[in-house]
Amino acid sequence: MWRNTLAGWSFILPNFAGFALLTLVPVVVLFYLAFTNWNVFGVAEWTGTANFRRMWGDASFWTALRNTVYYTVFHIPLTMAASLGLALLLNRKLRGVRFFRTVAFLPYITSIVAIAVVWNQLFSPEYGPVNAFLGAVGIGHPPGWTTSADWSMPAVIIVGTWRYMGYYMLLFLAGLQTIPTQLYEAAQLDGATPWQRFVNVTIPGLRHTTFFVTVMLTIESFKVFDLILVMTDGGPGQSTLVLSQYIYQKGFEENQFGYASAVSIVLFAICFGITVIQFMVNKRRNS
Amino acid sequence: MKRAIPAVIGAATALTLVLAGCGGEDEPADPNAPVTITLAGWSLSSTPEFKTLADGFMATHPNVTVELKEYDAANYDTQMTADLAAGTAPDVYVLKNLKNFYTYQSGGQLLDVSDTAKDLGSVPALAPYQVDGKAYAVPYRQDSWVLFYNKELFGKAKVAPPDGSWTWDDYTAAAKQLTTGLRAAGSKATGAYQHIFQSTVQGFALAQTPNADLLSGDFGYLRPYYERSLELQAVGAQPTFGTAKTNKLTYQAQFGKQQAAMMPMGTWYVAALLNQRKSGDADRFEWGIAPAPQFDTSTTGTAATPVTFGDPTGMGINPRIGKSKVAAAKAFLGYVAGQDAGKALAGIGITPAQVTDAVTAALFGLDGVPQDDLSKFAYATHTIKPENPVSKHTAGVQNVLDETHSVILSNSKGVEAALNEAQNRAKNEVIKQ
Repeated sequence: MWRNTLAGWSFILPNFAGFALLTLVPVVVLFYLAFTNWNVFGVAEWTGTANFRRMWGDASFWTALRNTVYYTVFHIPLTMAASLGLALLLNRKLRGVRFFRTVAFLPYITSIVAIAVVWNQLFSPEYGPVNAFLGAVGIGHPPGWTTSADWSMPAVIIVGTWRYMGYYMLLFLAGLQTIPTQLYEAAQLDGATPWQRFVNVTIPGLRHTTFFVTVMLTIESFKVFDLILVMTDGGPGQSTLVLSQYIYQKGFEENQFGYASAVSIVLFAICFGITVIQFMVNKRRNS
Repeated sequence: MKRAIPAVIGAATALTLVLAGCGGEDEPADPNAPVTITLAGWSLSSTPEFKTLADGFMATHPNVTVELKEYDAANYDTQMTADLAAGTAPDVYVLKNLKNFYTYQSGGQLLDVSDTAKDLGSVPALAPYQVDGKAYAVPYRQDSWVLFYNKELFGKAKVAPPDGSWTWDDYTAAAKQLTTGLRAAGSKATGAYQHIFQSTVQGFALAQTPNADLLSGDFGYLRPYYERSLELQAVGAQPTFGTAKTNKLTYQAQFGKQQAAMMPMGTWYVAALLNQRKSGDADRFEWGIAPAPQFDTSTTGTAATPVTFGDPTGMGINPRIGKSKVAAAKAFLGYVAGQDAGKALAGIGITPAQVTDAVTAALFGLDGVPQDDLSKFAYATHTIKPENPVSKHTAGVQNVLDETHSVILSNSKGVEAALNEAQNRAKNEVIKQ
């Protein structure tokens, strides 16, 4: 009995030790730091709920939260539609389909800095091909994209969607291949149109995949950081400032690690809360 | 089993105490004993100043070895903060940005080096590193912002070059004339290039405007400086902020490849331009340095002292340094802020903390540096005000102003509205905290 237990522990210990050291301990420390005033050096001074009360009156925090929700609300449906569309397109037996699947996946594994540099040049208001194209099709005043406070977030959402659609396309492709072909054949025999087959066979058949994709996209959208940091650095002004960048700014640029930890907890609570709701809704649907 | 846990904790604590005791290095220091001190630097292959300082010091202190430890230039302060907090930082480290000095000093991460500072005598750039009468670092570099100009493009545009008497209105008028003249001559170069840094507008406004105070949260002093910059963009006398940002324009290429006739920039650019001319990354052309344009005529002309800005770059000592190394580290600090190191730095195109006649002669003795009197005057004569006054609020206020800079120059918001918003945010989100 003891031998078995020891053997079991010896197998999970390396992984658990790594998890405890690199994830669990920092997370516990983060929760503690959120209630302190700490500038990384010296002792953290306990301030109770002061950081959370400060957040309430901090206009920049609310701007960052609004922008994060803005990004999430548009990024999730756009990425789902684009990735599902790509998956449907590339789920056929076409010549060179593997090549096109690889091409669609490439943005996901490309360096984020390279993506930002290239897309910034594409979006350049005066010399970029995007505005040149818009001008050619008769749009007189094309947007300033990343240099305009009104258009910077749509620009980031477009690039975010383009970057992630290949990855979620792969998940949808895997999901599509689990749907029995007999269902489509039966529907076709019953006279179902392609749209009816999509709505009544494909969508229900992808329910588990769609749920997984929605959860992952929600968490990923709320935590968006690198793309915005290298593409717009939160600007112009605060037009693309999101919560994770605000945490970075307060922590690593202004050395307010206590306050940054408190904002991190709010971000964690939002992600956790929405994920729990998604699981509850999914459970109810399943039952 | 329950008894074993306290025993293990006890043993671990005892071991920790023993190990901590081992690292104390309490033995008395022998001044001639061989000693190695570590020094933090960044991008060592392309930033020769650290090796120059280390070699210069070791030549006169044969018992001391200065070992360089490389950091990433862009993330220097983040990495240094992490290393200091973890207790793995080098013995001597560079204070790359003055705005982070407060964090290091108030966090107890700098040794008191008042005795070394006292031996240096009068060094103007020392003041920012002094707190309650004690010095916590010494400056070894003190760049200042000047106006670089391309003599050949001025000639091509048939515009009179700067003579040291320019206010910002004169500069704006010249930039427009240059652009028109260059276009007429078939050149695509613009009259001016102000890089996307907030410093190119805000640094001058803060330094030159009477009674301007970054930490007051009153930013009205920025208005005329932004209005002039917007005017230059609007008439095409300099690339727009959007173009510079989206196309990742570099100031080195804009001036070095003759895309702009004038460029306000720090004196560190002298060394960069010389190196780029050697490597072929910059064209060979006649260039000069003029004093930065002034707020009004009271500080213009070579009989007056122009006002500009620039933060010193300093060095301090990690308090965790072994006691036997402190004397060597302080001697090194005394060397880097002194005249011998100044001449050595000027010899590689870098502006040291103390600009003396010998330093000016060393810099202007370099191949490719202009020889005219105005350039020498601009390099050696000025009042330098700090861009980042030392305070716990500086980093926060500068972040607010950086966002304001992008929102104004991208024409996303009017100057008045953007400055009002910046004032409210600085007061409520930073200064009151």
